[in-house]
Amino acid sequence: MVNVLDIKVLRDLWSMRLQVLSIALLVAAGVAVFVMSASNYRALVGAMDAHYRNERFADIFVSMMRAPLAVSDRLRETEGIGIVEPRVAKAVRVIRGDSVLPISGRIIALPAAGQPLLNRLHLVQGRWPDPLHPEEVIINSAYAEARNVRVGDTIDVVLNGRLQAFRVVGSAMSPEFVFATRAAVPLPDDRNFVVLWAAHDAVASAFDMKGAFNDVSMTLAPNASTPHVLEEVDRLLKPYGGTGAYDRSDQPSHRFLEDELAEQETLSVVMPSVFFGIAAFLLNVVTGRMVEAQRGQIASLKALGFTNRAIALHYVKLVTAIALLGSAIGLALGRWFAIAVVGSYHAFFRFPLLDAQLEPWLLVVAVLVSLMAANLAAASAVYRIATLAPAEGIRPETPPALHRFGWLQKIGNRRIPLQYIIVARTILGRPVRTLLTTVGIAFAIPLVLFGLYWFDAIDYMIDVSFGRVERGDAFLTFTEPVSADALYELQAIPGVLKAELQRIVPVRLRAGHRTYRTSATGLDSASELKVLRDRALRPIAVPSDGIMLSRTIARQLDIGLGDNVMLEVLEGSRSARKVTVRRISDDILGNSVTMERTALNRLMREGPVANVAALRIDPDQSGPIWSRIRSMPRIEGSSVKALWLALFSETIGGMVLIGALILAGFGMLIAIAVVYNSARVALQERAWELASLRIVGLTRREVSGVIFAELAVELVVAVPAGLLIGRYLIEVIASARASESFQVPAVIDPGSYAIAALLVIGAGVASFITIRRRIDALDLVAVLKTRD
Amino acid sequence: MEVRDIRDSAAQPPAPVFVARGLTKVYGSGDARVVALKDVDLDIRQGEFIVLLGPSGSGKSTLLNILGGLDAPTSGTAIWRDHHLTGASDEELTAYRRDHVGFVFQFYNLIPSLTVEENVRLVAQIASDPMKPGEALDLVGLSERAGHFPSQLSGGEQQRVAVARAIVKRPDILLCDEPTGALDVDTGRLVLAAIAKVNAELGTTTAVITHNTAIAGMADRVLRLSGGRIVREEPNPKRIHAEDVTW
Repeated sequence: MVNVLDIKVLRDLWSMRLQVLSIALLVAAGVAVFVMSASNYRALVGAMDAHYRNERFADIFVSMMRAPLAVSDRLRETEGIGIVEPRVAKAVRVIRGDSVLPISGRIIALPAAGQPLLNRLHLVQGRWPDPLHPEEVIINSAYAEARNVRVGDTIDVVLNGRLQAFRVVGSAMSPEFVFATRAAVPLPDDRNFVVLWAAHDAVASAFDMKGAFNDVSMTLAPNASTPHVLEEVDRLLKPYGGTGAYDRSDQPSHRFLEDELAEQETLSVVMPSVFFGIAAFLLNVVTGRMVEAQRGQIASLKALGFTNRAIALHYVKLVTAIALLGSAIGLALGRWFAIAVVGSYHAFFRFPLLDAQLEPWLLVVAVLVSLMAANLAAASAVYRIATLAPAEGIRPETPPALHRFGWLQKIGNRRIPLQYIIVARTILGRPVRTLLTTVGIAFAIPLVLFGLYWFDAIDYMIDVSFGRVERGDAFLTFTEPVSADALYELQAIPGVLKAELQRIVPVRLRAGHRTYRTSATGLDSASELKVLRDRALRPIAVPSDGIMLSRTIARQLDIGLGDNVMLEVLEGSRSARKVTVRRISDDILGNSVTMERTALNRLMREGPVANVAALRIDPDQSGPIWSRIRSMPRIEGSSVKALWLALFSETIGGMVLIGALILAGFGMLIAIAVVYNSARVALQERAWELASLRIVGLTRREVSGVIFAELAVELVVAVPAGLLIGRYLIEVIASARASESFQVPAVIDPGSYAIAALLVIGAGVASFITIRRRIDALDLVAVLKTRD
Repeated sequence: MEVRDIRDSAAQPPAPVFVARGLTKVYGSGDARVVALKDVDLDIRQGEFIVLLGPSGSGKSTLLNILGGLDAPTSGTAIWRDHHLTGASDEELTAYRRDHVGFVFQFYNLIPSLTVEENVRLVAQIASDPMKPGEALDLVGLSERAGHFPSQLSGGEQQRVAVARAIVKRPDILLCDEPTGALDVDTGRLVLAAIAKVNAELGTTTAVITHNTAIAGMADRVLRLSGGRIVREEPNPKRIHAEDVTW
């Protein structure tokens, strides 16, 4: 026979269906965000690991001027080194008819066997170059897609000053170029950077590298000591112009990837976990109150002789059904969003295999947490009520011992309509419940802010990095150091409003046993096109001696103002000198070492030269300007800020914002669910009282005013509190999760606060309107017949 | 003032203030259809004390609720003075209750978060010509408890607060649904005395629903209901005092 209480579960679910649905959606939002985000992060890490493993990403990297092949054998004999892959890899320029800008690139020689031992290629399209056809190349698939280059197309490459036409026979992904970046541009720019892999002989002969190599990748032997190996390699390659060996942590693509993953971890693991935690707490509050509202029924069941256990079990079934419904919706939504978001990653993360992975343990954790939050609340509410004597439970819950608060009795000011006295006493006479409800509504706000915050943070990053720090419109890199005449030449181009030279060189900073590889930028003291700033965005002057260091690097090297650090230049003279940290800058994007250009020139034992130019140009004349620049032979590459920005919002922006939008959407859903439930339960608890007020002659409006005022007070307290909690949580998360190249700032736009606040207030108003209908429809006659 | 008018004309038989013709009330439809009132005709005179007797489901409460503007009949007419209660809107019924009707219910229906005095004042604040809340409490003998919350009072005291709340607006009609239903004899008597006092001193037309035939002795007229009809009307020339009621 069907248990009658089980029939009651079903009927209750149906009669409270709107409330049930809102709680289920709350669960669903928490579960979906958690499952989606955690899966996505794991999908990325899994894809990276698989790519690195399958394509045998090297552990140690180093470039040099030129070393005879025999040197590679000495590397192989070095303790701690496993596989050694010497090769020729050189910077090139690519010329395209449809691009006014020169495109920079890197050409890498492939061994005769095709697939290298390390940093292997994952062929996306086409085939391997035929060693007998030196004009055949594989290009990186990112560029192929960005520029719509197909197998069979030709590509014009300037190799060592000579133009040579190559034929594209395939496109590939490489673990070395998950992000194809180059020194002067802080972001990957797939349209303006290409990687070409060609047969060894074609490359070696063009650069006069037969029987020699200028680049080598290596693996570490098991249990090898990385610092020791790096030292040995440097020692070995020093005579050949080695530019300093580095491990994966300094490999540009990997470093960028690590930072991206750290940022994704914030967005996908930290925030969703906090989000889910808050959702579970809200679920706890909401179910607790829902069960408490059934006080009369619980007491009646108990009076009939049901044990506390049986009654608790009954409510456990009720909330379990709701939590399971929510979990099912959440899992379905989470899976759907995970697939959509991972799809959006493809444009940015160049991994051969990148699929949404819904790991069973995540699902189990999500469902278990939801069930526990709901059931703990339900069970504790049941026990609280069930431990009352049934007779007391059956009576409607009166404000507990209001008379104990003498001052509550005194707030009966004759000028205040008594329905508001009712509100005040209800709110103040039940401080714990009021607090819990208010906190519940307040915590809905951070969930909305968590998503909106990313939009603000990215806007802020763009504004600061590309509006206030990098103030030029375009950047040119030169094939070799140039002197002031290049500046005059640029300044003479009509439409170039301002031009400044910069010297950017790869360096290694060393403080004690800590090292950091980055590039040093030499700026003129009056530099206007690049202005470093402190945290308050005040410009910091370039120090006349010593260096200005990014705060993140200073932290990593554990040094501060006035400390000395060894600065090793990794090209040309390879000179090294102790310099003093004179200023600390707060960089949002990238980490810089900045000094006066002449000081850097002196350090490098060279004249007043530069290798990068920043330009401010008249946008109306950009066409003629670029055709002039294109004809200048010493320009190696260029980048345009407007294009970066477009790129930024397409890639990082697009990817982060999809996640943020989903987070914000679910946050909003939860906010609405919590507010609606608070209002709904308030009505449920007060229906009897409100009907009594109606009977004695108060109008619908006056009676609705009671619930409205209660909700209004909760909102007035909860909204500002929620905004503060949101700000605090975001600050904590942002500061805890600052990655190396992105300092995602804890910046929240007033507009986002307004959206979050208005949304919650709007949810309050909407809930009130639906509840107002119920108040209007209160069955006055029925109320007289029962006490519940 | 209306109250005095009634006193002055006490010698003549007062005119009916409430006239019902063919009142029918049907709840639900189909299988669940319940006919609560069937074609009831009723006149109630100014200042009259009426007791409605009858078993559960006989239609007493339905009749009282229609009389009090809490419920609308399915058919028939119910007119209180110049107010047509049939077909009135919710706003009109609310105004009718607010201006003319006082209610006392079996479960008191006091507002738990308001003190005794405030519960009474709640009604006074929306009435056009109320007495002072203190006066109403005096009438039921509860002035000393004015500052207490309902949860601090006994059931009889709570019901007397409900009576005070009902009369503070000087209602034209006082409707009591099982006012002693939840009370013991002695407490019940105190409540009945308060109701009788209001009827006698203020001339408030009063209708009391009860299961308790003993209370019928207090009435001017007793209406017996059964199966949704008034089956018998018994005038009671010898009204007894509340303190003489026993059960």
